[in-house]
Amino acid sequence: MMTKAWRMKEEGGIAILEFDQPDADVNVLNSQNLLELKHLLAEIGSRHDLKAIVITSAKDRIFIAGADIREIEKISSTTDALEKAEQGKVVLKMIEDLEIPTLAVINGACLGGGYELTLACKWRVASSSEKVKIGLPEVNLGVIPGFGGTQRLPRLIGPMKALSVILAGRVVSAQEALKLGMVDRLFPEKVLLKNSIQFTKEIVNRQLTRSKGRSSSWFLEKTPLGRFLVYRQAKKGILRLTKGFYPAPMKALEVIQKTYGREAVCGFRLESEAFAELAVTDISKNLIKLFLANEQYKKFPRTKTHVPPLEIKQCGVIGAGVMGGGIAQLVSDKGIPVRIKDIQPQALGSALKEARTIYDSALKKKKLKRQELDFKMGLISVGLTTQTLRRSQIIIEAVVEDMKVKEKVFGELSQITDRSTILASNTSSLSITRMAEVSRYPERVIGLHFFNPVHKMPLVEIIPTPHTSEEVLAKTIQFARSLGKTVIVVKDVRGFLVNRLLMPYMNEAAYLMEEGCSPATVDQVATDFGMPMGPLELLDFIGIDIAAKVAKILHEAYGERMKCASLMKTVQEKGLLGKKSKRGFYIYKGKKKKPNPDIMTVQKSGVCPSRNDILKRLIYIMINEATRCLEEKVVEESSAIDIAMIMGTGFPPFRGGLLRYADFVGAKNIVDDLKRFRDQQQTDRFSPAPYLLRLSEKHQTFYPI
Amino acid sequence: MKKVAVIDGIRTPFVKSWTLFDRLSAHQLGALCVNELLQRTDLDAATVDEVIFGCVGEPVDAANVARVISIYGGIPKDKPAYTVNRNCASSFESVTSAVEKIRLGLDQIVIAGGTESMSNAPFLFGKDMAVLLMKLAKAKTFFEKLSILFQIRFQHLKPISALQLALTDPTCGLNMGQTAEVLAKEFGISRMDQDAFALRSHQRAIAAREKLREEIVPVRIPPDYEIVVQDDNGPRENQSMETLAKLRPVFDRYTGTVTAGNSSQITDGACVLLLMDAEKAKSLGYKILGSIEHYAYVGLDPSRMGLGPVFAIEKVLRQSSLALKDMELVEINEAFAVQVLACLEALGSQEFAKRYFSSASNLGLINLDILNVNGGAIAIGHPVGTSGARLILTCLNEMKRRSLKRGLVSLCVGGGQGGAIILERE
Repeated sequence: MMTKAWRMKEEGGIAILEFDQPDADVNVLNSQNLLELKHLLAEIGSRHDLKAIVITSAKDRIFIAGADIREIEKISSTTDALEKAEQGKVVLKMIEDLEIPTLAVINGACLGGGYELTLACKWRVASSSEKVKIGLPEVNLGVIPGFGGTQRLPRLIGPMKALSVILAGRVVSAQEALKLGMVDRLFPEKVLLKNSIQFTKEIVNRQLTRSKGRSSSWFLEKTPLGRFLVYRQAKKGILRLTKGFYPAPMKALEVIQKTYGREAVCGFRLESEAFAELAVTDISKNLIKLFLANEQYKKFPRTKTHVPPLEIKQCGVIGAGVMGGGIAQLVSDKGIPVRIKDIQPQALGSALKEARTIYDSALKKKKLKRQELDFKMGLISVGLTTQTLRRSQIIIEAVVEDMKVKEKVFGELSQITDRSTILASNTSSLSITRMAEVSRYPERVIGLHFFNPVHKMPLVEIIPTPHTSEEVLAKTIQFARSLGKTVIVVKDVRGFLVNRLLMPYMNEAAYLMEEGCSPATVDQVATDFGMPMGPLELLDFIGIDIAAKVAKILHEAYGERMKCASLMKTVQEKGLLGKKSKRGFYIYKGKKKKPNPDIMTVQKSGVCPSRNDILKRLIYIMINEATRCLEEKVVEESSAIDIAMIMGTGFPPFRGGLLRYADFVGAKNIVDDLKRFRDQQQTDRFSPAPYLLRLSEKHQTFYPI
Repeated sequence: MKKVAVIDGIRTPFVKSWTLFDRLSAHQLGALCVNELLQRTDLDAATVDEVIFGCVGEPVDAANVARVISIYGGIPKDKPAYTVNRNCASSFESVTSAVEKIRLGLDQIVIAGGTESMSNAPFLFGKDMAVLLMKLAKAKTFFEKLSILFQIRFQHLKPISALQLALTDPTCGLNMGQTAEVLAKEFGISRMDQDAFALRSHQRAIAAREKLREEIVPVRIPPDYEIVVQDDNGPRENQSMETLAKLRPVFDRYTGTVTAGNSSQITDGACVLLLMDAEKAKSLGYKILGSIEHYAYVGLDPSRMGLGPVFAIEKVLRQSSLALKDMELVEINEAFAVQVLACLEALGSQEFAKRYFSSASNLGLINLDILNVNGGAIAIGHPVGTSGARLILTCLNEMKRRSLKRGLVSLCVGGGQGGAIILERE
């Protein structure tokens, strides 16, 4: 007999169902334990001595984390999906149909199917601890709630609030859940179960009824016209956020719109059908795979040796530019004192301003209190001398991209710090190994590459050199993760991973322009594909001069295939540097941008390729370079490339990543097109890399099928 | 008893109130200094045993301002902090409290200092208005509220300046400037002498600008952080006897001599010192800037509070068995030019010595060449809770520059007290 996931005990006529998935850290709902629950509920249903039922979890931080994602991932047909949704619904319906009071006691993460289960109960209570996270994040995985969430939540808290939770896949704190009406009471963690049982007794004895929460707006929720307006507004919001690439939120809205206020049975059926339809899409599959990969990248240990956590009393930052200021803000946000050093007194002020602007906008959004702002800003201090950095456990260099300057910085830092201080460089393209070699104790030198804007971009590349010690690598990874970043470990090659892939993409856009495409066309193709920004707009954002600098380094490192399009040089010579000079490929005025007519004059006349070919050239050139990276072991696996591209460049998540997309297209098709471009353009930059050719010949894919 | 060492200190620029630091709170100024002190001394914040701050007008939104400074300044939360108030000697008091704790072995490393944002002194409602507002808050029905609102009269709305109150002696009712006029009359000190003294303060502060930068942390003004303040903005380069002579007496319109020009300025600023058990300092490898062995506080008639230094100096010399001539450098806080001049006269007066100290000989004359050599509060400003710590820091730094062994710092205290500290260097 298998170990059971559900345990039942009784206390004064109250049955306590405790969910404790065997051999697992978390509780998730799967076919097996749902079936078990079904049997248990049938048994309970036949007993007339029970006064109430309390459902809780035995795991420390988890109530129920949701339905088993791997089961959803494996769904292959709509019938299969429909069946899964209906199965769950049947069990939850049994809970709902129980005549005695039912109470869910939420002691930790309560997400997706887990929260839907609590919705089938008559009451929900939670602990007030930070461990509690409640929400219906299904849309983030490309599906919608399938166990009645779209039906029961709008009825419980009204359609407006329900939409705000479901459509955005929002996960909220216990306090917020109480405010929204998603739970009925909060109890202190320590006495959660005790108070919950006491509360259950009150319900049983006094027939406590839930006070009908005042609707936030009678007009908007209770009248057809009002609801019409709400739905229309929600639709606009979805389109703005998803740009039409993600069907799940729209589907969820559709289901709620069609079913709210109607008969329950039809609603449940419609929900299951919508769920089934979405669960089999590539988009959902991609998002699920990405979710799983991301979970893995958040945690995986890099080294086998156990490394004690790095206690950081101060972090030093050298270079008070945009990156320096951004890094300082991020670090201070985690409560760590930061000292910024620069040789320019004026720069110090602008770094403070950089950080302050980020905090100010958080303050405006009420994500930060005034006092927190004062405290966190106070953690950032600035100065002109290196001496004060001695107290730092980690010093991050973010000075100009010039090896001579970097060498000087590392030389200076070597003078004042000892072996235990980690020296990190935020360079985007220069050799970390060289910086290590000019430093005393080179084993503590490492690359730590943040992306701009630092507080928003979730990725960091960590670049150990051959000298870097395992301990320093492990500690740096730990540090980056403690800042909330996803880490990929990359070999010390020029451009590391992200810039090495991104540069050919932007460069290709410049070539396309040379051939006669307008910037708007090229960018449109990219954004239609799902990129957050077109390559030329991205060049403007980065700064054309800076991009040219990186391009030059890559050209030197990788030869002709990375040769910078001559257009970039011409543009730069004309003083068009991008967003910072208000003029680049576009002209920027406030928040608006329009194509820059000056650009057209530097174009050669020619024929712009078809939109299809534009896209292929932009994306395939990246895929081609990515296979080189795999072969050179710049990163160890395909998923690292996909995670990096999505987190570091905003590559569309619903496509699953660059190499998932390559698998979707097929290596052979890519090779054929690359060869065609090579012949058309008479250039080697399209020559398929050996690794890609091999895949194509053997009909293989990057990921196992 | 353990020997107490001053390791280093740092202060913000002293900035005329309602100017550059208008939007910075007293705790922000203090925290900035604490943070920078840690940076410059390379001290592990976790080794600090306690933080003590002097503050006269404590910010209403930061009760026990020392605690707020401690946390904002990056001292771990498990370290205690408290605020002291001995009016103008508040940061003398914070320092000597630290000395006492270290001497007794209760603490080994203490950050002591003072902070004051006179720009942010609040305006208050009178008691009548406060009573009405309380009633209003408690009122339940609309009509109750309305009837209370009708009781408010125009006079109730007149705000009272907390700063004004702070600068007025609560027991004798004189404001500080009026006590200065008392001394002017008692000692017959002329307007001209006062103005000349004031002018010298400005000239010396201007000349010392470079030197003073060593003890100042540049402050960048939020939210744009574009303006960098790295000097005191009180000293006037073009100050002259003519300009000073044009000013009207503030406290006694017709026969008075005390003007805005020969009084200390109303100022914002903070200053901190790092104090350690001397043994501990040596074991940690710190160089010692100076040490504090002797100090004294005295009380006197509040209406002659400006003479506080005379009595305090007499007491500290008596206790230490030292003489005024042993002091190689002297700082007497320039609350008012006339008050410092009166002190000098009293110190040199046999009659005064006979009357108040039952002594046949005077305490001694102080050569102006060693008094307030880098200017004083008339030029630099007098953020009341901060000045004491600044005097110690400025004096120790100058003793170091001149390789002197002994210095004396003293100040008068509103409410009728005086404080004096003898600083020593090896």
